[in-house]
Parts: sequence; structure tokens; C-alpha cells
Amino acid sequence: MNNGSNTPCLTVALPKGRMADESLKFLREAGVSIPSSHHDGSKLIVESADGQYAYFLVKPTDVATFVEYGAADVGICGLDKLRENACNVYEPLLLPFNYCRLSLCGPAERSSTPLRYETQPRVVSTYPNLTMEFFRQRGINAEVIKLNGSVELGPLVGLADLIVDIVQSGKTLRDNGLVEIRTILDVQAVFIVNRSSYRLKSHAVQQMLTALKKAIHGRDN
Amino acid sequence: MDDLQYTISLPASPSHVDGQVVGHIPRGVADYFWEDAAERRQLEVQLLQAFRLWGYTDLIPPTIEYADTLKARANADLQTKIYSFLDHDGKTLALRPDMTISAARLVGTRLHDAPMPQRFCYVGAVFRHAEPQAGQQREYWQAGVELIGANSPEADAEVLALTAKAFQTGGVSNFYLVVGQMHFFFGLLAELQLTPQHQAQLLQAIDRKSEPELDEFLQNAPLASTARRAVERLLELHGANPLRVLEQARTLALNSAMHESLDNLEAIYQVLDAYGVADRIHLDLTEIRDLGYYTGITFQAFTPELGFAIAGGGRYDNLIGTFGAPKPAVGVAVGIDRLLLARRLQQHVDTGADAPPRVLVAANHNPACYQIIQAWRAQGAVVIIDVNGNSQERTGAEFVEAARAQHAKLALSWTGSGFDVYDVRQPSASSKKHIDASDETLLAQLIQSSERRHL
Repeated sequence: MNNGSNTPCLTVALPKGRMADESLKFLREAGVSIPSSHHDGSKLIVESADGQYAYFLVKPTDVATFVEYGAADVGICGLDKLRENACNVYEPLLLPFNYCRLSLCGPAERSSTPLRYETQPRVVSTYPNLTMEFFRQRGINAEVIKLNGSVELGPLVGLADLIVDIVQSGKTLRDNGLVEIRTILDVQAVFIVNRSSYRLKSHAVQQMLTALKKAIHGRDN
Repeated sequence: MDDLQYTISLPASPSHVDGQVVGHIPRGVADYFWEDAAERRQLEVQLLQAFRLWGYTDLIPPTIEYADTLKARANADLQTKIYSFLDHDGKTLALRPDMTISAARLVGTRLHDAPMPQRFCYVGAVFRHAEPQAGQQREYWQAGVELIGANSPEADAEVLALTAKAFQTGGVSNFYLVVGQMHFFFGLLAELQLTPQHQAQLLQAIDRKSEPELDEFLQNAPLASTARRAVERLLELHGANPLRVLEQARTLALNSAMHESLDNLEAIYQVLDAYGVADRIHLDLTEIRDLGYYTGITFQAFTPELGFAIAGGGRYDNLIGTFGAPKPAVGVAVGIDRLLLARRLQQHVDTGADAPPRVLVAANHNPACYQIIQAWRAQGAVVIIDVNGNSQERTGAEFVEAARAQHAKLALSWTGSGFDVYDVRQPSASSKKHIDASDETLLAQLIQSSERRHL
């Protein structure tokens, strides 16, 4: 399947930021060739050292979109972004990093009334779809407000009663007087594959899957 | 501020009128014009001609159907995407979401005693509500075939081979057909005897090709050891070497239904081999699209350039029975928009070698000139009459500019006894020459040789 001289056989989309380092570290562990140094920010698409793979970095929330459209053959992103955008891709593997959870949180002093008694709670989140779905399933008519960041601020300044956000250690929540009420989604990194590439570049994709699986077991032990 | 709105006359552009829709088009629909429209029409005709060569006859179903008719298509997801509206008598009408339902209704209610098999081909717009995603419009064009009243492997192979032919005809040479067989999965489900929750879990894991989710299913569902082994290895059952996939699948088949589905695929594959399209086939036994609708083979076509399927189809033996006598049927629908996209990406755009020559003629109200023009058109030339021209007041350069704007390669102006001929490809308009009307051969030659351009 290696299509000859120097064209990369798979295009890989990775999320910018902390997850990029974790992803590259894990790919290196798996023996998947990665770019020799990713310090040069001027080049948008960087080939791996052996020329097998072409990597590019995009906003975490866009990784799945690039893969869905086939602009990247494979990608790594958080399960939270994948479910929020409901992208139509294959997701053969969960990867052992970026562990966190998407949680519904509220002020610590909030009375202990069950959620279902709330009439029309106002919720801020960067995950409007998952938030809406969570409340819809419980028959609660929530008013969901989409923010692009600083979600914890919502209850403090009276913008909202509740928030839905990613919780890792819980420190940010505590610092802002918030507590977790319910976990909506357990999140970790997920390896995704374009539906067409899964077939047409089957050999290269399976090779990568095998390597990644080995590395997952390696970390387990 | 309100007063200002009334005193200042707004420009005609609709974008300046807040909240109004006049002059806009709804999301997900498009105007096609000029080269784009010509290319679409040309592709549609090419596909229909390919289908007709295999004995398929044209079907032109209505654009609207009763919404209840469309409910026969057992797919909850599709049902939510249908555009429906009320008729004046209170009945609910709907825009067709595909052509297959209409074909099935026609055969089930009116052609059930016609000699079988019936072969239909079609091209037309279908309508589905969709959020703009992966190349999806809300009105989009499909060309396809339905082969009704036959359930042999040969019938399945014919539709697959014809799909391959349609791609080649459309100028897309690099493509794959990913083929699955629902009965393999049905057989497995019958053997597993799952609760609805477990079944949903298994389906989701397979749809996402997710090994972690499959592992979770295996932990939760009580399975016998042979069944467990089959499920464990389910996701491996795909590949570009169909015979090897079949061989692998044989070792996991648990009952006669699963074995028969593999026999069926093998028989289909043999016919495809004879058609010379075996190398285009990619078998995938986890290809379980549209559960409850497809009843045999199911397939999708992909190209390396596009991340999503360009065509899809399969066997649907239960659909026609909902309208009348049951009939087996198999069909395919090709997305025109996506095929065009793939064709452009594979750079097999038609060079216009067959496009007729194009000339602009200023006839200057002369009856003799009109007769000559009609003769040229009869010979297949595209002759555009310069209806806005006034040759008395216009320079040669202006005339040539008009011809260029209408994509003509020659501009001819009637002089009374013949034509002043301008070659539009020349930068200067001074290069005109006069040809007498009596010199018919020279004129005909000139027009036929005017450089052919791609429409």
C-alpha cells in the first residue's frame, strides 16, 4: 500500500495544545514515526521523519471535522469533542491519555433539590449539544447558553445557575466555589479514522492500529 | 432611525433588507448555471445512457408523494429528514427523499402482474433535511437503477457491475465498492439471542468500528464460546481480497444462515470477476447500513479523494410488499454532486472534444442570412444570433468583444452579399476577412473548424 517514493501514505490530524504533546509522546511510544522536531511553527503540514505520515495541528474541536471530510485520514481527539460534534467517523481505539470527564456543576451552596425539580435552569457550556441532550433526556427544559470559554464564571456573575464543563482535577471548580453534580461523559483520547480511508488505505490504517494497540497494552502493564 | 429607513431608498440588493428572504435561496439548495449546469446535465445523460444499454428503461416519478407512502421505508433516521407539508384537503404530502420508494410503490400497486424482472433507471432531485455536513445539500441529485423481480446473485452482480460502469462513464476511474451482506449479521444475531440493549450496544460498536465498545459488549453480554469468538473477530472481516475475507468468515459462521450469506457473496463475486470489476470490490461483513431496510447485499462506493460515499445501494426484498405483492429488488443511487466532485478531483473533466463549435452572427434582419444560419444549426453548429447588436453603430472591436462574452470563437456579420468574419481568438479585431455567401463550402469548413471549446 506504500504508494511509492515520498508521498506520505496517511495524513494525521492532531489537536493543538497540551493534547498534541501527549499524542506525539504516545505515537512515539507506539513506534509510529513522528516529525523530528515540531518547533518550527511556520510550516502547517509536517512530515514524519520517515516520510510515511503527514501531520497537521488544528483546533481540538476541529480534528473530527477534518477526518470526517477526508482532509485527514486519521486523527486523535477527545471523546468530548467527538460526541459534541457528532462527526461520522470510525473510532476504533480509545487511547490512554487525556482522561477527564464532562460534568454538570453548580454552586457549592446550591440546595440539594433533585435536578428533575428544576423548571428552567440556565446552563452555560462550551458543549451546547451534549448539554441539551443531557437535559432533554431527563425531560428538563433547560436554557442552554453557549460560551467559548470562562464557563466557571457563569454562576459567579449571575449568567447561569449551572455549568457543563470538562473536569480533570476539580481544582478550578473548588477555587470558584463550584461542585460536580453529575458526570455526563467519561472522556479520554480517541483514535478516529475516516470511513473511506478505513477501506481504501486499509493496510496503512491497520498497521497504525496494531502499533497503537501494542502501546496501549504496554501502558497497561 | 426608523424614519431614516423610509427616507433613504435602499439599494435593490436583497442583502440590505434585514430579515427578509426575497431574493435569497434557502440553505442547502443551489442555482446551477453556465458550465456547471452544462456539466451536470451532460453527466446525467451519460449515466442514463449507460443504464439504458443494460436494458433499464426510464422512470419519472412524481416529486411529491403522500407522506404515508414514504413511511414504508423503515428507517427512523430518514423519517425525521423528510420535508412534509399539508395539501389543501388536509392530507400530508412530502417531497421524495429518494426514488426507490416511488419505484417500489409503482411496482407494488400497479405493475405487480407485469412480466418480471422490471428494470428502471432514473435521474432527479431528492430532498432531505440535513445540517450542512460532509458534502450534503438539502436538494440533491441522484441517478440510479432498480432491478425488480429477481433475487439471484446475478441480479446483485449486475447492479454492482453497472455501478462500476456508471463511475467509469462519469470519468471516475479510481473507486471502490465496499460490499456487505446483511444476512451474515442477521444470522449472527439469531444465534446470539441478545436483549434489545445488548443488541443496540453491539450495533453501535460495529457502526463505530470501536474495539473498546466491542470489548465492553463482550464483557456485558452472556455469550457461548463459539459465538464469543465470532463477535471478537467480527471487525476483522473486511478487506480488498474478498476471497480471503470469505474464507476467514467461514471459520466463524455459526449457522446455515451465515453460511448461505457467504455462498451468496461468493456467487456474486464470481459474476463480478467475469465482468472484470473484481479488483474494485472490497468486502466488509460489518457493513450493516440501514438495518430493517436492506435484506441482502448492501454496498457503498468510495474514491480515495473524497472522505464520504458517492453511491449506495443494496437488496431490499421487503419494501415492495408493503404496497402490494412482495417482489425481490436490488438497486443503487449515485450522488450526482459527489460524482462530479470526484471527477473534478481525478481531473478527468471532459475536455469538450464533443462540444459543438460556437459562432456569433449579426444577421442584420436579412432573410437569406437566417436561412444560412438554420442550415448550419441543422449540421450541429451552435449559432447565436446577435440580438442586441446594431452593426451600423458598432465597431469591429465591440462586435468581437460581444462574441467573446458569449464564448463564441467566430463572429460573423452579414454584409448583404456575404459575411465579414472575425476570429475572436485574435487579439486585434482588424483581422477580419470577407467571405461571399455563395462560397458555401468555405463557410461550412470555417464554422466546423472553429476551435471546439468545452461547454
